[in-house]
Amino acid sequence: MADTDTALRYASAALGYRGRAVLTDVDFALRGGRTLALVGPNGAGKSTLIKSVLGLAEVVGGAVTVLGRPVAQARGLAAYVPQVDSLDADFPVSAADVVLMGRYRRIGWWRPTGRADRQAALAALDRVGLADRARVRFGLLSGGQRQRVLVARAIAAESRLLLLDEPLNGVDATSQAAILRALGELTAAGAALLISTHDLGLAARIADQVCLLNGRQWAAGTPAEVLTGELLRRAYGGHAVDLPDGRTVLVEP
Amino acid sequence: MFEAPFMVRAFAELALLALICGPVSVFVFARRLSFVADALTHTVFPGVVIGFAAAGAEGIFGGALVAGVLTAVALTLLTRAGLLSDDAATAVVLTAMFSVGVALVSRRSSYTSDLTTFLFGRILTVTPRQLAETAVLAVVILALVAVGARAWIFRAFDPTGSAAAGFRTTWLDLWLNLVVALVVVAAVRAVGTVLVIALLVVPAAAARTVTDRLPAMAALGTVLTLLAGYAGLWVSWTASIDYGVRLTSATAVVLILVLAYAVLLPVGRLRAKTVGRAKTVGQAR
Repeated sequence: MADTDTALRYASAALGYRGRAVLTDVDFALRGGRTLALVGPNGAGKSTLIKSVLGLAEVVGGAVTVLGRPVAQARGLAAYVPQVDSLDADFPVSAADVVLMGRYRRIGWWRPTGRADRQAALAALDRVGLADRARVRFGLLSGGQRQRVLVARAIAAESRLLLLDEPLNGVDATSQAAILRALGELTAAGAALLISTHDLGLAARIADQVCLLNGRQWAAGTPAEVLTGELLRRAYGGHAVDLPDGRTVLVEP
Repeated sequence: MFEAPFMVRAFAELALLALICGPVSVFVFARRLSFVADALTHTVFPGVVIGFAAAGAEGIFGGALVAGVLTAVALTLLTRAGLLSDDAATAVVLTAMFSVGVALVSRRSSYTSDLTTFLFGRILTVTPRQLAETAVLAVVILALVAVGARAWIFRAFDPTGSAAAGFRTTWLDLWLNLVVALVVVAAVRAVGTVLVIALLVVPAAAARTVTDRLPAMAALGTVLTLLAGYAGLWVSWTASIDYGVRLTSATAVVLILVLAYAVLLPVGRLRAKTVGRAKTVGQAR
């Protein structure tokens, strides 16, 4: 019987491209209503792990299930929130147009966009505090507002699993607060969140679980179990430095 | 001008092309496919030559259709497999197919005349049958656009996001490439393989200078192409009848379309400055 409460399960998985693994020993389970933070240096495999959920990276070994199904049968089930900088700010779409994209899968190929879809998009924008900016061109919003629009798109998709790639990177305090509030509401409603981040403080603050990666999974568990000086030093190499007060900071190489 | 039946047919042909080029050019613009569209206009060339050699003017349609579809598939597969970058794959296919076309046409005794027809079209000799073929193709193209539009826009804006939503990028790319190829096939007899690129790029580019909304871009692009079609026919008719100056109709249509773009450019710049000021105010909220 399928485990319907587990949003994401990796069992000794190896992930990669063209048959070659770039991330190994991935082993964790993420349940509904929980938040898991992926941390690790650049090139650690955080994006590869997210892509594996979307079917854009291969499961070379082990097993991966998304919302109780194998990856190949889970297309379109997860909602993805990209980094705002990865999108073309000159693209001629409004904030509401972007949020409506989250409904496209539900709308299907033939049916025109209905009132219920537009209302769902507006409600999602309202959840991130941007209902009054619905008709503004996406590129005319600030970076933080654009990130909130992308979170609203994921909300409008009504998915039980959200994948967020550095959602607070370079985002102003007002937008950070709005995004964190919206994410809190989503988990309270039972959604599972997988968040890729370089911000260990954020991981410690909002995640129930942390997965530490660098070419392989170094550790997975609660923030207190994973974000330790010893584990960070092992995953980040010499870039993790202990402070006299017992905390650990990451420094530029 | 419309007392001559061939001018009515020419305008009807251009009106049909305006109907499809307005919307399709929006997706060419959104996906930054101008170079791919340019390649498709050149790669139908050998198909046009082979079709003409096999069945005369009536064979051009079939030849262009086969070459266009083959190119669309080849371009999609080459870029999908990661064998070449988008630009490199396009350039390789473009030059290879165009070279084949030139080699084929150069073997014909009426080389210069045929080449001119293939490259610049013969809008004034459009027959009722050709008009009917363009109309059928226009219906097919608009149906394919209507179904694919949402997914294409999503894929153009956020490829990973659209894949996450379950849309298959390769199929969407193939679908759009095929639609562009069909537009080229529809337009190639009227405006030739060289000038058809203008109909695929300029309408949306001109419309983009004055609007931020994709449906408005499609509508405005259609209207601009229609007006350029009428004005181009009128200019070439007046130049040849009243002043004895030979001016190819298709060239006049494209020149006026490009002129419309040039006129709209400063309007767009002025608008951008206004929008820039509004952006500063809006982001402060």
